[in-house]
Amino acid sequence: MLALKELLGSKLKFSLIALIIGLVVSLTMLMSAMSEGLVTGMTGAKGTLAADALVFQGDTQLALERSLLTTADMETIRRTPGVREVYGVGHAMISVEAGGEVFDARVFGLGGRFDQLPIVAGSSGPPGPGEAIVDVTAEAEGLAVGDTVPLTPIDRELKIIAFTEGRRYVMTPAFYVDMVTWADLYVASALRGEVAEDSGGSPATQSASLEGGASIAAVDLTAGTTVDDLAAELEPAFEVTTPAEAAEAGNGMPVMVLAVNAIQVVSLLIGALVIGVFFYIMTLNKTGQIAAVKALGASDGYLYRQLLLQIIVLVSAAAFIGIALALGSGSSMPPTMAFDPQVGRWLISLAAVYLMALVGSLFSLRSILSIDPATALDRAEH
Amino acid sequence: MRMLEVRNISKHYGHGRTAVRALDDVSFSLEPGQLLAVLGPSGSGKTTLLSIIAGLLHPTEGEIVLGGRPIHLRSPREAAAFRRRYVGLVFQEHHLLPYLTARENLLLVPHLSGRITGRDRTRAKSLLAEFGLEERAGHRPAMLSGGERQRVAVARALMNEPEIMLVDEPTANLDTQHGNQVLELLRAQIHARAMTCVMVTHDTRMAEQADASLRLIDGRTAPTGA
Ligand SMILES: Nc1ncnc2c1ncn2[C@@H]1O[C@H](COP(=O)(O)OP(=O)(O)OP(=O)(O)O)[C@@H](O)[C@H]1O
Ligand SMILES: [Mg+2]
Repeated sequence: MLALKELLGSKLKFSLIALIIGLVVSLTMLMSAMSEGLVTGMTGAKGTLAADALVFQGDTQLALERSLLTTADMETIRRTPGVREVYGVGHAMISVEAGGEVFDARVFGLGGRFDQLPIVAGSSGPPGPGEAIVDVTAEAEGLAVGDTVPLTPIDRELKIIAFTEGRRYVMTPAFYVDMVTWADLYVASALRGEVAEDSGGSPATQSASLEGGASIAAVDLTAGTTVDDLAAELEPAFEVTTPAEAAEAGNGMPVMVLAVNAIQVVSLLIGALVIGVFFYIMTLNKTGQIAAVKALGASDGYLYRQLLLQIIVLVSAAAFIGIALALGSGSSMPPTMAFDPQVGRWLISLAAVYLMALVGSLFSLRSILSIDPATALDRAEH
Repeated sequence: MRMLEVRNISKHYGHGRTAVRALDDVSFSLEPGQLLAVLGPSGSGKTTLLSIIAGLLHPTEGEIVLGGRPIHLRSPREAAAFRRRYVGLVFQEHHLLPYLTARENLLLVPHLSGRITGRDRTRAKSLLAEFGLEERAGHRPAMLSGGERQRVAVARALMNEPEIMLVDEPTANLDTQHGNQVLELLRAQIHARAMTCVMVTHDTRMAEQADASLRLIDGRTAPTGA
């Protein structure tokens, strides 16, 4: 009763503090959504590859950009004990022209298994030569299903037959093509569309030499074989890892995720401090009142429960404000921005906010305990 | 209602050179329905005496006896329970909670003891009526005059139907007219309900209206006219 009456008695004071804590909560929510968005945006196309293991060329530090496997490499992998199925995954960088603007994108060649791509628009069949299934964030660049988009400066084009989702790489949309198209684009973009005089052949012959090869190999293992078993067989000529681990490697990902998580933790601590200090000062301001209520016979437990109740109400209001703000600012972000709210992670952040508030309340508990009810009789309060 | 006895109470604050003898061998006894005025200059130990009877302080020596039973050797928790049940406290400052209305400030007392019953609500209503505060029941302390606040504070002290009323300079912040009004109401209640009451005051005219009076000087009882 006391706690809520007091809240209602000073609405302005408590609303302001709820707003401040709400802003801090929204910051942690945004950070959590953005770190999630950062991970999917940076490595979605790599981390979601349907495979038990990914095999990279040796000494490439799991970099998709540097790895290249020959036909012979692919054969070696295919014949390794414990390997059930292998398909090649090709990677290339392209620039796409849309509405007079040029944006960067990544090509992913798939040697089959196109059914791993969730289709959000267009046909679900595998792309033929010169066709592509494209991450839906390309829509924001002005592309639509059915468009044929020129690639620059390599004088090629791709026809978009469908949109998929959650498949971005280094913040650019992935274009999924068949392996022949990949090999052509890989060579063309490596040679920037020019026939290199001393390269020993035309782009056509170059890309023909890539036939049967890939950037990396996606491997399914037989039952009972582990990724470590495969690594033991293939290293050091190759690097072996899981898609999830590959996603965390390279492109500065570990540092980025660490930075975003650190901001989240710091903002949580600030929130705890704000709540803790606010209630501590409130308690100090009410020393006389608290002494009087104690003199009337209120127990410390009762007073602490009232404080906790106030904190819970306040933090709940703040959480509501924070989530509304986070969702509001999230929905006004362009889809290419890294924003990917995850209910699970938000719940964890919320739990952390409540926990921190609880820790903050312990300061006030200390001062509640130290107030001597005898002072109520003597000390005049003005 | 029971007799209240204060037997040879002494209270020393601190040790050694900084030790203060706030009370030195103070004794008196009060029959039910009696109002005792405690007079004395500032620092003479008046508040200390009230605090000891309320169980807010432990006496260094002596005992407080209610109806033949000592009540002073209580833990803080037991003392709090004792106050909730048997003691009505009126502070020098009204100490009403600013965010509660007059009526809610009265109901705080049963709330702290557990639950507010229908009987408590009726009692709060009739007390406010007796103290001429019906119109003010829904007002917060900030909207009340000083005299009204002090009347609410006295009404609050009566909510638990105490056996012992302990009152520290209830009229210090009031003019004579309003001070007398509060004292009159208090006296009527004490006689009607056969409580014992110890009231600290600076004002000798107030003391004259009490059933007995006691003067403290440097913690000792001094002879008085009354
Ligand atoms: N907690 C304490 N520690 C040390 N000395 C104290 C403490 N409380 C009171 N005293 C001392 O005990 C003596 C009696 O104090 P008390 O508050 O009982 O006086 P009082 O008669 O109520 O005075 P006043 O009329 O000014 O309210 C004073 O000398 C005071 O300084
Ligand atoms: Mg005093």
